[in-house]
Parts: sequence; C-alpha cells; structure tokens
Amino acid sequence: MTSDFDRRRFLAFVPLVAAGRATGADVPPAVREAEARRVAVVAKVTPAVVAVCKPGGDASGSGVLIDPAGYALTNFHVTDDVGPVHTCGLPDGELYDSVLVGHDPVGDLALVKLLPKEPGKPFPFVPLGDSDAVKQGDWSLAMGNPFGVARDFTPSVTFGLISGTHRYQPPAGDGILEYTDCLQCDTSINPGNSGGPLFNLAGELVGINGRGQFDKRGRINSGAGFAISVNQCKHFLPHLRAGLLCDHASLGAGVETDAEGGNLARMLVRQILEDSDAYRRGLREGDRLVRFAGRPLTSVNHYKNVLGIHPAGWRLPLVYRRGTADTAILVRTQPTRSEAADDPGEQPKPPRPPKKGPKTDAPQAEPSPAAKLYEPKAGFANLHFNRLERDRLLASFRKLTGDPVGLAGPWTISGRVQLSDRKSPFSLTLADAADGTTEVKLARGTVTDTVQPLKPGQPLGELLQPTGSGGLLASLYLWRRLVALGEKGFESGFAHGGQEPFYPAGTPAPVAWCEVLRTKHAAFEAKWFFQPGNATLVGCEAVFAKDEDPCELVFADPKPVGDRTLPHRIEARSGDRRYAVLTVTAYKLGAT
Amino acid sequence: MTVVLLACVLAADPVTDVAEAVGPKLVKLFGAGGFRGVSNYGVGILVSADGLVLTASGPMLDTPDLTAHLSDGQRLKGTLVASEPQLDVALVRLTAGDKPPQGLPFFDLTQAGPLAEPGDWVLGFGNMFEIAVRDEPLTVQHGVVAAVTKLSGRRGTFGYTFPGPVYVLDAITNNPGAAGGPLTDRTGRLLGLIGREVKNAQTETWVNYAIPLSATVAGPGGEINVVGFVAAATAGKYTPAAKPPATSGPAGYHGIVLVPDLLDRTPPYVDSVRPDSPAAKAGLKPDDLIAFVNGEGVATVRAFRQVLAAQPPGATVKLDIRRGGGLVTIELTLANPPSPVRGPKR
Repeated sequence: MTSDFDRRRFLAFVPLVAAGRATGADVPPAVREAEARRVAVVAKVTPAVVAVCKPGGDASGSGVLIDPAGYALTNFHVTDDVGPVHTCGLPDGELYDSVLVGHDPVGDLALVKLLPKEPGKPFPFVPLGDSDAVKQGDWSLAMGNPFGVARDFTPSVTFGLISGTHRYQPPAGDGILEYTDCLQCDTSINPGNSGGPLFNLAGELVGINGRGQFDKRGRINSGAGFAISVNQCKHFLPHLRAGLLCDHASLGAGVETDAEGGNLARMLVRQILEDSDAYRRGLREGDRLVRFAGRPLTSVNHYKNVLGIHPAGWRLPLVYRRGTADTAILVRTQPTRSEAADDPGEQPKPPRPPKKGPKTDAPQAEPSPAAKLYEPKAGFANLHFNRLERDRLLASFRKLTGDPVGLAGPWTISGRVQLSDRKSPFSLTLADAADGTTEVKLARGTVTDTVQPLKPGQPLGELLQPTGSGGLLASLYLWRRLVALGEKGFESGFAHGGQEPFYPAGTPAPVAWCEVLRTKHAAFEAKWFFQPGNATLVGCEAVFAKDEDPCELVFADPKPVGDRTLPHRIEARSGDRRYAVLTVTAYKLGAT
Repeated sequence: MTVVLLACVLAADPVTDVAEAVGPKLVKLFGAGGFRGVSNYGVGILVSADGLVLTASGPMLDTPDLTAHLSDGQRLKGTLVASEPQLDVALVRLTAGDKPPQGLPFFDLTQAGPLAEPGDWVLGFGNMFEIAVRDEPLTVQHGVVAAVTKLSGRRGTFGYTFPGPVYVLDAITNNPGAAGGPLTDRTGRLLGLIGREVKNAQTETWVNYAIPLSATVAGPGGEINVVGFVAAATAGKYTPAAKPPATSGPAGYHGIVLVPDLLDRTPPYVDSVRPDSPAAKAGLKPDDLIAFVNGEGVATVRAFRQVLAAQPPGATVKLDIRRGGGLVTIELTLANPPSPVRGPKR
C-alpha cells in the first residue's frame, strides 16, 4: 500500500523518439506568454533546488533552500537515510557539506544547513507561499532529483495539477510519516523527489514532496503524489531551526464520527483523558466538536489535519457544542510521542561513516566540517542549533534587562494590586537565605503571603499561594531567576522551544506569535514567551503539578528602570480565571 | 497540437473552476468488498436531480449497505437499480430517509458533448485509493487522449469485456476506486467513464482508459449505449445484454505441489515439484517455504493459490523462498497447463 519513497534505479531505459517541435506562427501570443512565464519561473527557482546526498555524494533525495544562510527543507525520511552529517548538491554543480538542524519524524520534515564554500557567501533561496491559497485544479511544478538521474545536480521539473487539498494520509509506519492537511497532485513524483519543492506558477514554495500512493504498480508515480503543505512547515520551522525533535499536537481525547446522527457527520468526543487540559477546560464525553483552530470539523480527516499541522504544546481555540450551546475554549495540546520515546532509551543516531564503496586509490576523505556543527542529545535533533537560537534569544533579552551583575541580593517591588474584589497597595520581596533558598513575600493591606519554593516536603497548597493564583509567588521566583541568573538559574533544562502562539487576554484573540524558552528548575517547568525581534518578555506559564492548571503571567507596560527595561504591569491567571493585576510603581533590585 | 491546447487551457479555462463545477455532481460510494482485488469504495456520477447515480458495475454495489457521500458531506443510502456488465456500468438510486433527494446538481446525459479525439485535453475525477471521504473533494487529474482504440486487456486471468473502442489516456487515472468516475473535456463536459485496472494483454503494462459515453454493445432490443441504459433502467425497462462469453482464462502452470492445506493458516511449504515443470526448471525444491510472490507476502497456502490464480500463462513471477537459513529469489515463467492426466476412476 502506501509507503514513503526509497531509492531504486531502473535497469532499463526506454528510448523515446523526440517529437518535432511546433514552430509555426499559428501559436497564439497568450500561449507563448504562458510558456515563457513558466520557463522563466523554472529558471528563477532552479538554483535553490537541492539534491540531498550521502556523505560520499551519492544522491538520496531532494530539498529546497529557504534562506540565504543555507537552511534547506527536506523530508525526515531523507535525512534519516543520509545521516545527520551529509552532503547536498546544488545546480551550480558543487557538492556542499551539510548538517541536520531539526527534524519532525511524524510530519516527515527536516531542516538541514548547507555550509557555504566561502564564509558568509549567500545561497540562492525561494520564497514561501501560502498553501491554504492553493486550490484544487491549480497548476504546480515539482522539482528535484528523481531516481538520482542528475549527476551534476541539475534538477528535474515535472508539471501537473493539484488534485486535492487538505488531504489526510495515515502514518506509513511506527506512527511516523503521517501526512496531514497535505497537497495531492498528479504532478509526477517519484523516488528521489522526496523532500523536494512543489511550486505554484509564481515560483513560491507551496509544499515539500514526500510521498506517493503506491499500489501494485511498483515504487513509481501512480497518479497521486503528496506534498507537505508549506503552511504546516511554517508552524514547525522555528522548532526545526532550534534543533528540536518535533512532536505533534494531541487533544487527549478520542473523537469519532457519529454514525447515527442523520445525514451530516458530527464529530463527537468518545473518551477524554481526565488529566488533559481539554478536560480541565470543560470538554466532556459526548460533546460535539464544531470548530478547531478556526476550521469547521466535518470528518475525522479534518480533525486529524488540524492536530497534525500543529506542534505539541500549542494552545489552540476549540468550539464545542453541548445541547444547543456552543462554548469557545483555548486548549493546551499535549505531546503525541510518549516521553519514554524521547528519553535516553532512544539514542539519536551518531553520524554514519560513509559507506565503503569499491576500493579506490583516492585518499581517505577528510572529516566533514559539518561534523563540528552536530551534537546529538535525546529530545533534540541537533543540540548545537538549539544553543545558537537560545543564546541569540537570551542575548537580546539581556539587552533589555541589563547586566545580571547588580541583580544579586534582595528585590523589592511595590505598587498597587487589583484583585477580583479589592484594590490595595502591595510590596513584593524576593530575598535569598544563606542556604541558597529564596523566600518570596507578598504583602497587601493586612494580608501577607509567603512562599519558599524549595522548602522540602511542603504541601502543594502552600507552594501555590496565594490560593487561586495557581502559584503566583513561585512563578515570580522563577522570573527573578531568569532575569538575574539566566541559564544558571535552571539547572535541569534551559532550551529554546521554537515558536508558539501566546494569548495575552486568555482568549482566542488577540494572539501574539512568540519565541519560546523552556526552562526547568527543581521540578518546576516553565515556558517563557518573547516577542520576536526585540525579545521583550510578554508572558510565562509555570507548571508546578502535572494535574493542575499552570500559573500564567502576562508581562506588559515595559519601562526603563535605570538602564534596564522591566514590565510595570504583571497579570496573573490560572485556569480560566484572572487572579490579580500588579501595577508596579517602583523596583528596588539587589544592592542598587 | 497538444502543447498548444494545454497552454490555451492555462490561459483560458482555469481547471479550478471546472473542478468546482464538476465536484458537486459526483458522489463517493462505499459498499461491499475490501478484500483482495475488490475495492469497497468507488465513485459515481449524478445523472438526475433526484439522486440517480451512474457508476461502474461490480461486486461493490452488491450490498444492502451501499452508502454515498455527497460533496456537501451528506450521507445517503444507495440501492442498485440495474447493471450492464458489458458496458461495465450500473445505475444506483440514492435515498435520504425513504425519500429521493431533491435538487442535486447533475450531468445531463442528453446534453453530452461530442466524442473526444486523440490529442484532446481531458480531466479525470475519481476516488482513487479512497483518498476522499464525506465532503472532501475527489481527486482531479489532467491528461490527453492518447488514442481511441479497441483494447486487448485482461484483469488478472479474466478477460476484459468491453468490445468497442475506448479512450486511452496518458494520465494515471485507472487506480482502485477510480472506475466509474467521469472523464470530461476541459470545460467539464462529460466524455465517458473511467474504466478499471486493466493490463494490456500484449505488453503486461497497466492501461489507463475510459469508456466513451456513446459506446454501444448489442442488447436484446438492439444496440444499447450508456445513455440508453440509463434511460431504460430509470424507466424500469432495462434487460441486460447477453452475458459476454466467459473469457476467464486458465491460470498459468507452475508445477509446485504444496503441503496439504489442513490448517486455517498452513504456511506454503513446497511438498514436491512436478518434473519438467517451470518450478522444476527454476530450481524449486521440496521444503522450500514461499514467503513472497512478486514482493507480496503470502503467509498461507490459500494466499499463494489466490495470487497465482491471477497469473496467466507466460507471466513471469518472482518467488522469494526461505531455504535453510537464507532467502533465495527465484523467477519462473508460467506455462500453459499440461493436458489433463486422467486419474483412476473413483
């Protein structure tokens, strides 16, 4: 049945007699123009089409450059074949050293980086299009290296129709290589095309070719090729750039088509995990799913499409119907892969040595310079690139929050606090004891809450004070560690987490697309949301217990405090409730 | 000429519009089957506003649980009205509850376009590989009529029944679930019905073809074509054309005697090999375990027989054999069955 491509060479070639080319003057100008445009588009995008090769230069699959620094998209099943340190051929005839950056086994996507021949020399690249604008019946161009025919890396081009959009194709093996919301085309796609680009006629990338519907005809095009939509790629690109091993969203609920419900399909929740966020947001067995991530749900395929195009952990808007009432919620999706799969049990493959070919007198090749850019670690495709992204983000953040020197010592923050039913001045202090633990104290009016986050054996209720905040004081403790200590404050984990939507109002709109830092200190996991570009911290989600809602902080109103920029409005939320808004009037940081 | 037409289409008739117009006139069909060689899914063409559907004839329709999914996601019940085995078409009536549906978009067969000619640009629609369910649009493909000619084909060991000329296509349209789907011209006018998965009897290659709407076969009341069949079947006056002569050919002879098939899942061990048979010439030996035939796993004696029954004399089959600890690949060319040897009378 269906399977991903592998590589197979044809032993026999059928000679084809070239037909005479029409040269007559009877060709209408519109036809000539259309042809000229198509030829021009192919010429424009060709330099960015990649032949992904094994370390020795043996062709395996295809790829496409998407930025001048040499980042190229391809399939996971291609990089899995060539190994993390490999080579890539470009139509300029050159073979480049290349390294795996990030990958997504379920979505069959991988990002690699080609090393320039001269430092800083830009690569040709293609613009990303909008696959949701692609319609059934549109024309498309597939480019790549089918059957490894191009020894000089000049890509083949095939031309055809988009046969269908938003297609769902189930996983091809072991739960990986699942094609969700993909484009189907009759554009000829064959083994070796895997990972290569599908273009619209404007030369914009709309998909990554990766799969064919192979039946009894053998492993060749059978009229139905599938490409991962570029919009799905866009969701995962920041994760891939951050060297992550990506995972896909799951709702924590089983959803089925209602077989008895009349002529039109209804999507019903058949079972739901009680420790899922969907359950805590109110979703129950028997509820009907109406919309998910902005799309109407009318079949299981639609449902799987929505899950498949989103990375695990993203919060997505969901509308469900119970009786006649519709309820809109924001759901935190959960991982699909078991955590065990990411634990050291599954070790990433070390770089494969080049296959021993027939004996030659050629001297042993030097180790690839790309090998220096590869650092395997469980949970990552390539830790090296996570460090790059993380350090870049942290450096930008430091530009705003200033030198950590001077932040040691107690912090006192004062201002006014607005609770649901009252308003009062507050004073917040965070002070370190001699044993290295920290005490966080929030005094407002006559009430004082105190939390020592690292106090051993304390009940959860004590840690999560004030009651109803979901852990405001403990979260502020983590925030101080981030600002004052950076990486050193999070001994158990400090990694770039790609990109996620952030909802400052706790409602589906507005949404801010943020860079994410994931940290772990003691048993406390937190996600930090930064505005892309200037790395302003806009929010945080801290998890203190798996079965509890996280504490959410929304940082706003950044203003200078000496030579630092710090938020002057901090909103605390948990579950679906706003607990408090702290309006800061004064910071007293450390010794200063 | 083809190049010119293709480019004209690019400029003049966006396929997106044609696909959008044709899609609502099609239904996905789900019925009996799902086992080897018989798909339990297919495609039908609405030919009336009240739910008459033209599709390929076949065992899939032979069930009380025939279901159709409309382009808007509605699910209706289907009932077989009549089928015409030589033309390879059938008529199905859809019902919503117990009533016929109303106001569906449909192809008006009386307004069918002229015949297509070699070089004409065409579109094919179908539910190949069951890619689409519910309100998901069917697959659309583009191609060119490569020839209009009679087809000498076979399906497994069965002969291909339609005697008249067909549209031979350069697009890979004839996949599982595609039979009965429409072939249209570039403006969406119905030209014919996409056929089945058929191999060319001479070249052993898969053929992509469609049966023209005007194609005729001899019926009891004179010649009948698809349009006439629909009209007669709708009026309840259709009598099937004479059954085509049984053209099922014998399977190719291999000369392998397997162990007795005593269990539900007897593995296909070779018991003995007939002397001078293709198997003997290819070097097959007793106690060989046949694991794959042409790359397809055969776990049981029954599975092996089923696969081989679809291979005619002259076909070359590749057997992967487990022998001792290793895997051996053997190719053998099937022969004509030897004249029957008369056994002792019982």
